[in-house]
Amino acid sequence: MPSNATRWALAGAAAVTALGVTRTVARRRHRHQPDREDGWYVVRRGITVDRPVDAVIGFWTDRERLDRGLAEWATLEQLDANRWRCVAADPAGGGTEWRAEITVDGPGRLSWRVTDGPVAQPARVELVTAPQDRGTEIRAELRWRSGPIRRAVGLAGGTDPDLGLRTALRRIKSLIETGHVLDTRHDPSGRSPRQERATDKVREKLMVGGRP
Amino acid sequence: MRALCWEGVGKLAVRDVPEPTIRSGGDILVKVRASSVCGSDLHLINGYLPAMREGDILGHEFMGEVVETGPDVRRISVGDRVVVGSVVACGSCWYCRTEQFSLCDNSNPQPVFTEKLWGHSPAGILGYSHAAGGYSGSHAEYIRVPFGDVGAFTVPDGVPDDSVVFASDAMPTGWMAADFCNLKGGEVVAVWGAGGVGQMAARSAQILGAERVVVIDRLPERLATASQRLGVETINYAETDVLEALREMTAGRGPDACIEAVGMESHDVGPAYAYDKAKQTVRAQTDRPTSVRQAIMAARKGGTVSIVGVYGGLVDKFPLGAAMNKALVLRMGQMHAQRYIPMLLDRVAAGEIDPGYLATHPMSLEQGARGYEIFEKKEDGCLRTVLHPQAA
Ligand SMILES: NC(=O)c1ccc[n+]([C@@H]2O[C@H](COP(=O)([O-])OP(=O)(O)OC[C@H]3O[C@@H](n4cnc5c(N)ncnc54)[C@H](O)[C@@H]3O)[C@@H](O)[C@H]2O)c1
Ligand SMILES: [Zn+2]
Ligand SMILES: [Zn+2]
Repeated sequence: MPSNATRWALAGAAAVTALGVTRTVARRRHRHQPDREDGWYVVRRGITVDRPVDAVIGFWTDRERLDRGLAEWATLEQLDANRWRCVAADPAGGGTEWRAEITVDGPGRLSWRVTDGPVAQPARVELVTAPQDRGTEIRAELRWRSGPIRRAVGLAGGTDPDLGLRTALRRIKSLIETGHVLDTRHDPSGRSPRQERATDKVREKLMVGGRP
Repeated sequence: MRALCWEGVGKLAVRDVPEPTIRSGGDILVKVRASSVCGSDLHLINGYLPAMREGDILGHEFMGEVVETGPDVRRISVGDRVVVGSVVACGSCWYCRTEQFSLCDNSNPQPVFTEKLWGHSPAGILGYSHAAGGYSGSHAEYIRVPFGDVGAFTVPDGVPDDSVVFASDAMPTGWMAADFCNLKGGEVVAVWGAGGVGQMAARSAQILGAERVVVIDRLPERLATASQRLGVETINYAETDVLEALREMTAGRGPDACIEAVGMESHDVGPAYAYDKAKQTVRAQTDRPTSVRQAIMAARKGGTVSIVGVYGGLVDKFPLGAAMNKALVLRMGQMHAQRYIPMLLDRVAAGEIDPGYLATHPMSLEQGARGYEIFEKKEDGCLRTVLHPQAA
């Protein structure tokens, strides 16, 4: 039985990985420029999960689910009491690897820093009990550099960390609440391969992101 | 396998398509035995509801036999004869926990379009365009049903396929429409639309305590069926001034509750219809709200207007002033299938509701395009065409 902090670090590893996943599919341009603070672009997004905070943390100890959702993509190595090293492969392929340092800042508070990967992104995740028996609010904050660095890490090409973050949160919510993330990409249809490719582009647009 | 596919606005064809497979632990595969047409399909086929793609398989009101279950399925087994709710629901988000299944947070994997259009994305619906998740529909030999434990219900022996199939959509929709009216007993309820949904709404209102139910349509066969099968009063809006008639029938009060079971392709007599149709054709408004307007004008002061006809976007000349100043209660939504189906199956088994008469036109999958034509044009007394994908 891993400690509470380890469970929580696993959640971070999942988030790092999930962002990796969505990075490759999020190709839409932003509508608005994200906020800027001290030379960083910052986005903050939240989602409400219909489970108590403990269950949201505890979810990651369910070995079976974790294997299904994560283990083939990420490993976690404990550095000291509150720090872990995460190595996450990009499940979309291409052999990309993300190395991140995950720190448990307190109960329900987590941060990570990608130390080696295609996008440098410090991030924070916080769990807050939602009002009215609505479960847990997962609040996440993602930062990335502007200017040349941003171009160097591929963000100027239209990759949008905001969409990536929103998609990741939605998937994590679905995994915690249902154990699955649904996908209709392989549902049968009368489409030719060419029509199917065009439809996949539409699907991608409709899948990635969240509220405008 | 064979499936009835959408090929562009107004065009349907049977195609050979791959068979579905289990994709997620909660999935079940159902061998479809009966798959009905629904008024919503017309909105999709005619391009009024968006995000259909060429090759999409239609159909969302169906029943059949379970042939495979995913590893996480517990309640449903291979061999079960089941009816499946059209709405996909996960069963474990806040909305599902509070039985608002059509608002499920986790069942539309492609939520961006509706989030932009409506602010939030409601549940996915089987065979209902890429805005509703991009699920393949039931007009096929087999269909994949996600969250099978939540969406599929074993049906009582002895109830024929072509009757129980309506527990999938028309019945729960009609029931929800009446449920919205919050009937206490003795009310007068008016129902716009004598299609499958309107007829089931009328029957549900009777069961829930309405003393008089008045069904409004222009199709004499449908009105006659409603009056014979359900013993309701009827108004033909092509011949009679509806508002006048309803006021008269209630000695000036107006109906306590007005149910709208017509939807965005509402038809009307008179100049307002031409205006609405023209605006809809050029997409200056997406929906024609004739019957909703009428329901709001007809409802008594403090009454309820319950809308289950489907609307997608914007309407014009919405009588907000009437609704506001008469202190109306407006209720509406896609139906919460999973909340009502078990109760409705009990009522069907007990003979309290007999929806079988809606299946006026049983047909093979191959006849699907013709089946929709008959249904759309309401030829030959058609209430619903029911396709049988296993028939040759
Ligand atoms: N809310 C839900 O979950 C849900 C579920 C199923 C169907 N629906 C919707 O319910 C509506 C009805 O479905 P259906 O299968 O019964 O369709 P249908 O096409 O069989 O019936 C519609 C009926 O409305 C009549 N009509 C047209 N204009 C009218 C008017 N101005 N006044 C009175 N009647 C008028 C038509 O003559 C027809 O008989 C559709 O909009 C459908 O999309 C909603
Ligand atoms: Zn329907
Ligand atoms: Zn749900």
